[in-house]
Amino acid sequence: MLEALEHTTIVNLGGLLIGLLFGAVGQRSGFCLTRGLQRCFQAGDGRKLRSFVLAMVTALVGTQLLASFGLVDLSRSLYLGAEFSWLLVPLGGVLFGYGMVMANGCGARATVLLGSGNLRAFVVLTCLGVAAFMALTGVFAQWRLAVADLTSMRLALGAGLDAWLASAGLPGWLARWLMVAVLAVPLVAFVLADRRFFRQSRGDWVAGVLIGLLVPAGWWVTGYLGADDFDPVAVVSLTFVAPIGDSIQYLMLASGTDLGFGVTVVAGILLGSLPSALLSGTFRLEGFSHPLRMLRYMGGGALMGIGGALALGCSIGQGITGLSTLALPSLFAAAGIVLGAFLALRGPTRLPPI
Amino acid sequence: MPQKRWNDHLMSRRAVLRHGANGLLAGAALWALPSVAWGRQAWERLDETRAIVDGRTPTGRGITLDLPSVSEDGASVRLTVSVDSPMSSDDYVEAIHLYALGNPSPPIATFRLTPRAGKAEITTRVRLNESQTVVALAEMSDGSVRVAEQRPRVTVSGCLIREETYGNGSDDTLPEPRVRMPRRLAAGEPGEIITLLNHPMETGLREDADGETIPQRIIERFRAELDGETVIDAELARSLAADPYIRFYFRAEEEGELYLLWQEDSGATAESRQSVSPG
Repeated sequence: MLEALEHTTIVNLGGLLIGLLFGAVGQRSGFCLTRGLQRCFQAGDGRKLRSFVLAMVTALVGTQLLASFGLVDLSRSLYLGAEFSWLLVPLGGVLFGYGMVMANGCGARATVLLGSGNLRAFVVLTCLGVAAFMALTGVFAQWRLAVADLTSMRLALGAGLDAWLASAGLPGWLARWLMVAVLAVPLVAFVLADRRFFRQSRGDWVAGVLIGLLVPAGWWVTGYLGADDFDPVAVVSLTFVAPIGDSIQYLMLASGTDLGFGVTVVAGILLGSLPSALLSGTFRLEGFSHPLRMLRYMGGGALMGIGGALALGCSIGQGITGLSTLALPSLFAAAGIVLGAFLALRGPTRLPPI
Repeated sequence: MPQKRWNDHLMSRRAVLRHGANGLLAGAALWALPSVAWGRQAWERLDETRAIVDGRTPTGRGITLDLPSVSEDGASVRLTVSVDSPMSSDDYVEAIHLYALGNPSPPIATFRLTPRAGKAEITTRVRLNESQTVVALAEMSDGSVRVAEQRPRVTVSGCLIREETYGNGSDDTLPEPRVRMPRRLAAGEPGEIITLLNHPMETGLREDADGETIPQRIIERFRAELDGETVIDAELARSLAADPYIRFYFRAEEEGELYLLWQEDSGATAESRQSVSPG
């Protein structure tokens, strides 16, 4: 049956399926980096953060397995480009992290929330998508490109951390798994540091593993099923800043635009979250109680959009998907996101309560 | 000098605005401007397209030009042109011409077809320097002309990874072309074929890192023959994207051989022979 379909259709269906799973799992578990960091920095409760970290580790190992079997050529992905801006990537991460706390959740979380009736998330998503495209191709695009050009850094060995080890004379497979271990061991140690996590927060760790698995699934869909000799689709996996903007654009220009993986993932999340919320009785229409809160969410959405465009990805796009390719810039972006969230939660720059 | 003509057109707009300083007049002029712009079709701006039309009155019916509304990468934009035609021996499309009016060198390609094509539909990839009008002209065997125009938008995105696909030292050989024959081919029915040749289509307008102009080097001709009978004969120009991709149709009644030929402006050629067995 699959042979009768165009490879782009198969990729889009794969994206839809991945989105549906993400939406359902995200809705049931409340998987969210923002909440994880918030509870960790403010209340010392690391369960939600451990769930996110578990997703990072799962995605990393799964993705590297795919790559080591030669099923997906990760070097064709955006993250492993040899050039990146040493300024914009971490700075964008900081902006994204700060905005994420202002809007009380990242873009993926807002999409899940919108599916369960949270209309505040609609405001966040609209601002995020428009702001992202303002920075990517719109009124700020020339400035972004000019600054990116001035601060561009060329990685002679490529962006992959394993390539650095390999250049020291290690065989490729050893370099790959050594680097995976260097990243994964401290993360796993952090997850295991709380003995109660696996016993008491079953929902959280199951969600972390499932969402982590969706990242290699995404690589496989675009990089394996989408690998056509003549029209290969872009090798991508879960990421949300540009896709949310693309989704808004697709709604407006569908007759002249090709449907892509990112847009079907976003649509899938909405469609997966809705029945999950309805079935579990948690669907509820919610809006803003105060105009100031609305202003803050709008600002948060805009910061996430611009920050995500500068950093080439969001908390999931860089923090989970980007890192799963062992790309050095993703490490900078992820560190920037955590720093931005920290600034918004603690210290003199923290957001005042409304 | 199409560029100049276009500028003249803009100047006259400004003149209209200047002379219409009187509020009412200015309002009337502004109201009239769009209809002036629409009344003149884009193909009338370019000498080459006017020469093809050659005094005939083109119709916009029976031809479709399809491009994405927005492209983030103007270096390679998918373009499909299709013309309604039975492609029979007495009623077929003789040629399809493509022009990108806003490019430094507007010609994209001319595809000369025969009834052997079976279906007048071609997909390729083009270069678009900026948002602009793309024109497709179809010359029919009965002497009529059809025209389609689209205004695709091209934005910047900057995150383009562009690998050199063809930078090897051996300059007088072309790489092996890639060809995908139709999965199933019914006798007498048009079957779709996709071809691709890795080639930079160097425009001669680009400079290298030292500021030296990189000389032009393009595939200028592509031909497909079924048992010696021409299916398609294309002249390719600088506005065709790198790695020329051509998707077209051919119609076979019986077993035979499809012969494909690519020719570089240096004279170098690449060819491919595919057996055809309709069943």
